[in-house]
Amino acid sequence: MDNFKIVLFLCNWSPHAAFQKLQDLSFDIPAEINMIRIPCTGRISKALLFKAFEMGADGVALAGCSPGTCRYGSGTENAIKNTQDTRDILDIMGLGSERMRLETFLPDETDKMYQFLSTFTSDLKTMGKTPIKGFRSDEIPEDPKQSITKIIAEYDAYACLDCGKCTSSCPLALSGKDFSPRALVTSLIEGDITSETIKENIWSCLTCGVCYNRCPSEVNFPELIQKVRAHTTKDITGQNRLTHGGFFQSLMRSMTHSDIQQKRWQTLPKDIKTDPDSKILFHGGCAPYFDIFFRNHHKVENSDILENALKLLNFFDVTPAVLENERCCGHDLLWSGDRNNFLKLAKLNQKILNDSGIDEIITACPECYRTFAHDYPANGIDLNFKVTHLYEFLENEIDKSAVTFDGPEGRFTFQDSCRLNGLDEIKDLPRKLINRFASGNFQEMQDSKDGALCCGNSAWTGCDAYSKALQVKRIHQAKKTKSDFMITACPKCRIHLGCAMEDPFEGGKLKMELTDLTNIIAEHICWE
Amino acid sequence: MVKQPTQSKQEIIITGFGGQGIVLAGRILGMAAALKDDKESTLVQSYGPESRGGACCAQVVISDDAIQYPYITTPDVLVCMSQAAYLKYYKSVTPEGFLLTDKDLVKPVSDRDCFSIPSTRMAEELGRKMMANIIMIGFTTAITQLVSKKAAEYAVTSSVPKGTEEMNTKAFNKGYDYGKSLLKGRAQKASGKKRANA
Ligand code: SF4
Ligand code: SF4
Ligand code: SF4
Repeated sequence: MDNFKIVLFLCNWSPHAAFQKLQDLSFDIPAEINMIRIPCTGRISKALLFKAFEMGADGVALAGCSPGTCRYGSGTENAIKNTQDTRDILDIMGLGSERMRLETFLPDETDKMYQFLSTFTSDLKTMGKTPIKGFRSDEIPEDPKQSITKIIAEYDAYACLDCGKCTSSCPLALSGKDFSPRALVTSLIEGDITSETIKENIWSCLTCGVCYNRCPSEVNFPELIQKVRAHTTKDITGQNRLTHGGFFQSLMRSMTHSDIQQKRWQTLPKDIKTDPDSKILFHGGCAPYFDIFFRNHHKVENSDILENALKLLNFFDVTPAVLENERCCGHDLLWSGDRNNFLKLAKLNQKILNDSGIDEIITACPECYRTFAHDYPANGIDLNFKVTHLYEFLENEIDKSAVTFDGPEGRFTFQDSCRLNGLDEIKDLPRKLINRFASGNFQEMQDSKDGALCCGNSAWTGCDAYSKALQVKRIHQAKKTKSDFMITACPKCRIHLGCAMEDPFEGGKLKMELTDLTNIIAEHICWE
Repeated sequence: MVKQPTQSKQEIIITGFGGQGIVLAGRILGMAAALKDDKESTLVQSYGPESRGGACCAQVVISDDAIQYPYITTPDVLVCMSQAAYLKYYKSVTPEGFLLTDKDLVKPVSDRDCFSIPSTRMAEELGRKMMANIIMIGFTTAITQLVSKKAAEYAVTSSVPKGTEEMNTKAFNKGYDYGKSLLKGRAQKASGKKRANA
């Protein structure tokens, strides 16, 4: 059993003293252990912990200082939380929480250190190698300049009139950021893709599409950006612009490995009916991972959307299949520039789903819907089944059914989802559904529909003070409607806007209930 | 809850106010039974001041055997498309019969079980208020199974003006689906599943 890879993050203080003594006394430290000395375990984020697994580690150990002895106060406490979150994520991933361990030490606990390391190593050997085989870096195209010229032609950016309508409507520019889509298009046409404008701006765009709706030359800005990001070179990479240390991209890249066996639906309530032989597959999306990742931050709960979507399918007599080993659709990889791994993931999904014999996939996630229905075919990945958004299913069923709504009470407003707004077949559906129960309690925000302000982040890239300002502006707009809650149509809107509500400067002033449309429908729909 | 029409003779009253297409609805039901379901049928229609917006009434008898007498006093199926019509007739329907109403036009005054559908509102949504009667036929077909769906659809398309067949078939199916769904919902409720989220 050679080439096992175990990463040991060893805190510089107590654990290091214990470890050094092991070395001094020539203890037989397992050869598989790669020790990395760090200043404090509390600084090893979930992104770093998971990065090791993404790169093929079979196990990761954190050795910190005993509670109360952390030199920086809260290090051990943070490490405990990060470890717990990472372990739970490893469980859903199917890697197993036991591959990640945290132990705390006093400087003289040499034996304990030895025990810890040897037990961990032997336990890992019993578990076997990780199913993640080898690191998948994002490869760079040979001649980025050449490809960018092609992209500009494809999206007809040469037709730009330099009118500036895009910049004057861009929510990011309007929130004060020194960012100009017009200038970006101009620099792209000039062809110097290493220019400062491009380097900086290509990763700032939220790909929300407001400018596309305004542009007289119909330059499809979001897709232009998506393509250009995939063709940037190392020196203008967006790696440092990824939010949360690139954790989510790591997670998604890990799913490109065919051997992983996730356990996504373990906590599904018993009263929800599914059927493995169904011709209809419900695709949940990555909300369960997000929920764990953010549970100590602002208590995001988006798994309820998945459960409620399934309840609604059951309500209308559909007993769908769910896939325990469901993979991410790849949306965030595609939009954050990692086209190669997006394609790997998409091809894997294509094979698994096309071979599964389903007729239809239903999803409640705008990104999954868009990616399966539009971006897969646009990238040559054809699926042999129908892709349906839950809202299409619901509108169709409710329209012909004797159902009614016993609520909700209170007033509400709606946060548009940029991914749904970009699709003609779906963009009107959320409001159509809302109208079915609204009965005069619905109020639009100042900017809505084609001009709606987005939630301030996209594909886990470029979250900064300006996206925060944008989010705060949006919440103020919602508050102005005097609504009791804001209805969302995308789990990410709920995450990012919920995050902004934690703003320490504004205190509780931004607090407002965020509820997903699927949840409201599921809670209030009933038979006549 | 759902009763199959077991008797060999079914008596139906469709009633509302003039201009709602009440008589046409009666004729379509009778036609469906006679032309496609191999039954006998009669239709008695009320004209007069009623066609100017007053109460309007179609009496239809559908039977396996020859019909001796076409007038009805105690209908097995009563379809009401106005409050006045409802008030006038609702007591006459047989205890095991069906009472069907337009949900927005009739506010029930008794707790006698009735099946209601917002047929006028649905017709407006489809773009033609005129089609409420066709929606009602679809609904009646689904709830009562007086005539087969095929027969009713045939009778609808052969009775409506040329060029409007498709639209009317859509209206018919809208009412039919709603009826089916109402029955399904009642069954779900009876088994304790009224809501998506218990
Ligand atoms: S897509 Fe949105 S964020 Fe990007 S430039 Fe256009 S308006 Fe601005
Ligand atoms: S709105 Fe369109 S045409 Fe005008 S500057 Fe922007 S990209 Fe160019
Ligand atoms: S808004 Fe909050 S949750 Fe969203 S990317 Fe930024 S920091 Fe993360």
